[in-house]
Amino acid sequence: MAGAIFRSARVETLRIDWLDDFTILYHRASGITHLLNAPAPEILATLGEAGMTVSALADALALEFDLPDLETDALLARLNELATAGLVSTT
Amino acid sequence: MSDDPSPTENEAGTTRRRALMLGAVGVSAIVSIRPALAQTNASVMTCEIPVPDAGRAGSAITADGSVVPAGTPGSFAANGRVFKAEDVKRALSGGQLPGTEYDTNRAYMNYIRKLQSGTSGFTCFASLQMPRG
Repeated sequence: MAGAIFRSARVETLRIDWLDDFTILYHRASGITHLLNAPAPEILATLGEAGMTVSALADALALEFDLPDLETDALLARLNELATAGLVSTT
Repeated sequence: MSDDPSPTENEAGTTRRRALMLGAVGVSAIVSIRPALAQTNASVMTCEIPVPDAGRAGSAITADGSVVPAGTPGSFAANGRVFKAEDVKRALSGGQLPGTEYDTNRAYMNYIRKLQSGTSGFTCFASLQMPRG
């Protein structure tokens, strides 16, 4: 699992709006609307369509958000939730 | 006077963002809202759309889809006809509602396109337009 690449859903399949602390995301491919809060939108934005491993994601988030002690296990749990929702794919 | 945020405000913003990320990474962050009627194709295709709704069953429909009293010149009698979602879906993609002529089909379809939330048939029509992956 450590070497798996996680990718965000293609940007043209998403309609995104922001409502204060929430992000509303309509996924055209599934017809499902998702209500996200931190850190899910940040994870999707950082992953991008090119994707990255969980450890590379942890490094990128740590750098962007100044988080020295980011837990990779918790991040992996969030990635799996996003994958279950169909917003992240993994190879 | 300057529009630039003060250093204190910048620090506060960074601290808040950091706190959000730290606090949130360990908890679930997604709620998914699935259109109930779109979950199974069967439930969508068997729902029905009355033209017009039962409360105005004796009324007629004009070419632009408005509901008018029966007998209004240029209108088409509808008598509360009920169309299946399957028939409406076919008509939406260029077909014709069963038992209609060109003009009545156009009038009924304009009525259906104008359906508002709370009107009988609206949920059925809305679910026809939802994409399924």
